[in-house]
Amino acid sequence: MEKSKLLVKGSAPPLLDRELTVVGKPLNRRDALEKVTGKAKYSGDIQMPEMLYGKILGCPYPRARIIKIDTTRAEALPGVAAVLTKENTKGWRTYWYKVPQIAFPECITYEGQEVAAVAAKDIPTAQKALDLIDVEYEILTPMLDKEETIKNPPWPLIADEEYPGSDVYDRKKYVIKRGDIDKGFAEADVIVEDTYTTQASCHGTIQTRACVASWDGRNLTVWDAIQGVWNTKETLAKSLGLDPDKVRVIVKYLGGGFGSKAWSQRITYYAAKLSMITGRPVRIERSRREEFVNHSRRWDCKMTLKMGAKKDGTLTAIYQTALVNIGAAANEENYYCVQIIWHTSNLHACPNVYLEQVGVYTNLQITGPTRSPLNKPAIFALESHMDKMAAALEMDPLAFRLKNYATHCSISAEFGAYPDAAVSDRDTKIPYSSKNLDECMKLATQTIGWENRSSKRSVGSGTKRRGIGMASYLVFQGVGLMPYAANADVDINHDGTIDLRVGVVDIGGGQQTIFSMIAAEELGVAADDVSVVFGDTEGTRYGPSCHASRATAELGPAVLQAAAEARQKLFEIAAPQFETDVRKLRSKNGTIYVASDPSKSMPFREVCNKIDPMNPIRGSGSRAPNPNAPMFSTFGAQAVELEVDIETGLIEILKITAAHDFGRAINPKLCISQIYGGIGFGIGFALSEESIYDPRSGKLLSTNLHQYKMPTSLDVPAIHAILTEDEDPYFAYSAKGAGENTNAPTPAAIRNAIYDAIGIWFNDLPITPDKIINAINAKKKKG
Amino acid sequence: MTLDENHFKEKKHIALNVNGKKVQANVESRITLAEFLREELRLTGTKVGCNRAECGSCTVILDGQPVYSCSILAVEAAGTEILTIEGLEHNNELHPLQKAFIEHDALQCGYCTPGMLMALKALLDKNPRPQESDVIDAIDGNLCRCGSYPNIINATLDASKELLRGSRSNHGEK
Repeated sequence: MEKSKLLVKGSAPPLLDRELTVVGKPLNRRDALEKVTGKAKYSGDIQMPEMLYGKILGCPYPRARIIKIDTTRAEALPGVAAVLTKENTKGWRTYWYKVPQIAFPECITYEGQEVAAVAAKDIPTAQKALDLIDVEYEILTPMLDKEETIKNPPWPLIADEEYPGSDVYDRKKYVIKRGDIDKGFAEADVIVEDTYTTQASCHGTIQTRACVASWDGRNLTVWDAIQGVWNTKETLAKSLGLDPDKVRVIVKYLGGGFGSKAWSQRITYYAAKLSMITGRPVRIERSRREEFVNHSRRWDCKMTLKMGAKKDGTLTAIYQTALVNIGAAANEENYYCVQIIWHTSNLHACPNVYLEQVGVYTNLQITGPTRSPLNKPAIFALESHMDKMAAALEMDPLAFRLKNYATHCSISAEFGAYPDAAVSDRDTKIPYSSKNLDECMKLATQTIGWENRSSKRSVGSGTKRRGIGMASYLVFQGVGLMPYAANADVDINHDGTIDLRVGVVDIGGGQQTIFSMIAAEELGVAADDVSVVFGDTEGTRYGPSCHASRATAELGPAVLQAAAEARQKLFEIAAPQFETDVRKLRSKNGTIYVASDPSKSMPFREVCNKIDPMNPIRGSGSRAPNPNAPMFSTFGAQAVELEVDIETGLIEILKITAAHDFGRAINPKLCISQIYGGIGFGIGFALSEESIYDPRSGKLLSTNLHQYKMPTSLDVPAIHAILTEDEDPYFAYSAKGAGENTNAPTPAAIRNAIYDAIGIWFNDLPITPDKIINAINAKKKKG
Repeated sequence: MTLDENHFKEKKHIALNVNGKKVQANVESRITLAEFLREELRLTGTKVGCNRAECGSCTVILDGQPVYSCSILAVEAAGTEILTIEGLEHNNELHPLQKAFIEHDALQCGYCTPGMLMALKALLDKNPRPQESDVIDAIDGNLCRCGSYPNIINATLDASKELLRGSRSNHGEK
């Protein structure tokens, strides 16, 4: 028998050897009822007796030094319980992801960086106390623009740790090369070069960050709004000097993450410290403005691409330089030093490439993962350039992509983990565990009516011009960050109840639903028979933070293994009843039966009654790290039909078709929801969303939801979502991640459709109406 | 005329109806209806996503109209009838909109959901036979960052049909 490839530590469980009864069903999400009735308690809804309200004073300047700080007036205000500044917290460090930062630094490196924190009896008093803190700043000229900054030598630091993590990545060059780039261009019949820029953008979760921290003198409990309970527990304990066993982090409901809450968030440290000092629970909730200013953004990028191809469309060379504005603080895990070039290297087949990515530290807002972090900018540039190249070759963009279809991955993902500037010059030719990108491209284009593309152009009437465009993507899958641990446990109790324990947060993707379905399938019960203990560091073992579309891919195999082990232990109890061997037993739909004679059966619950009440059955599972080969990735393609109004510059997206290869769907209903959500995110990035900073002061100007324009119900078109389901034996029921990847191709597909409609390439996101009108006028002038 | 800060802290007596129950309270004149519902009445189903009438997550129904409760003072709501998400169930039975939201997966993180449901309840009360465009317009002031709009729209159209079926059967029609 072939050895199971499931990514688990220890021995892989036997295959189910029967049809599936739970996995693949479009079940409703488990927490929907609490969410539609308003009963779901999010972190900001939690109120405790004696609770204080915290507020944080952020520096209003992106670069400054604190000369003097005086809290006398704030401390004298009735109702104020504690005021923290650098004066009374010397040596205290907090974290931004894994980047240690002085909690209240003397030298400020980004707008909103913490200067003081206050706890008071209510929010107005806390706000008033902030107003009464007197701070004298020396305002320094900020470094803002990535190109200006890198042109000049690094600024001398004015204090230790002024730019935390800058020793790791600042100005360091990462290179992927293979073949001979000069030879590649020499062989080319057509060479096209262009430059693309993508903007700083925000996550815009509808829930602003909120937490309640409660210190009881021995233990710290935090109700938080974050994507990972376990990584938060670790950094909180480290910052506060506590034994990790004394810190409990709970997230039952999360009002959106999109990467912004992938690690501990800033406010939690201050709430916890204030609680430890006052001995009372402290709630801190961000205002929308604070949410914009004080939390991470997506890096703004500039990418130049030069491509060479033969007349028949065969790519011979890709050259790329990418410059990334890292902002004021980054370290491993919140900056991805090769993510742009990794995706450029692997999406299409090309024998000769030279790709380089450089990040530069500035005084713009801190950065961190945002739904397809740097792969979305990478895919935008690459898939835009592929269309421009196809036009130069007078080839159909779909045919051009299929002509250069990559059958293998050229560089492993581990490369990105190198701490110092690095060059990869090997073509590793790693196969993918499964890949259906060609099918995705064909399905997305067929469904939109690609073959009628040219005739559609005349459909638009009056000032409207119609166009159709497409783009494809790959997104690396499975992460595997240190500490590599993704554990799950399944308990079967004497009374027949089942507890699945996973240290993961349900961020709205439906994680608890999906994991209960995997466990239920393995156990042979209904999904509703499985209770899920999740979003809590108590009662679970280490689980990954729910970001990078990784929860299903990473925890899925562990859940499967845990449930299978528990089932086999139950079969050991059942086997004597049937007077048969454990290996001959199966379970399905709440029944345990003999495989060769299903009429010999017992209800699952009845067998459970034979479990020792004091000693429930426990099955445990742990995900194994990704091997060097094969490579795991998700793929997909989207096609867009839209109209451009050449008088107003407004774009109306009429239809989007999206075909995605996530392996198999545990729950297709939830997968489709992810596609809808991703496309919405992609539309915003393509057409309207941009964090705008004052070019002189460096202060963020777009600090509310009118200035930062996220798609509304009026902006999201009809979406036709297709799942190309395929086997991938490394994952639980072949299920990989569906989340951030869904928005990666949308901006390029929209941009390519705009070209199809009006014959103008737009290379700078977002493509706002003013840019469209200016470009149309410029084209008219040229004649 | 300038008013000193104490003027805003001064408590005013208000009486109103929330989810069918009479409520009386002394509230500071500066607090919003959303704060009053959440902090005083502990009706935390109403969410505050922006506190400046941009995101719609605080939408409640005031005398039949969907309103942003973050942008109305509690004292302004005196004498009105308020319906919040906690009052949407009837006789412990989910409203057809709630059922349809669950069935159509019209929510992900769920934070915008109470506001969405209240905006749509107000729509269906006024317009029992909405077209797709009516639904889109009814929630164009409610942001859903998870992007559930297509499912929300379909759920609402389904719920409207269910409500019509329900009202027909109540009137003995076929």
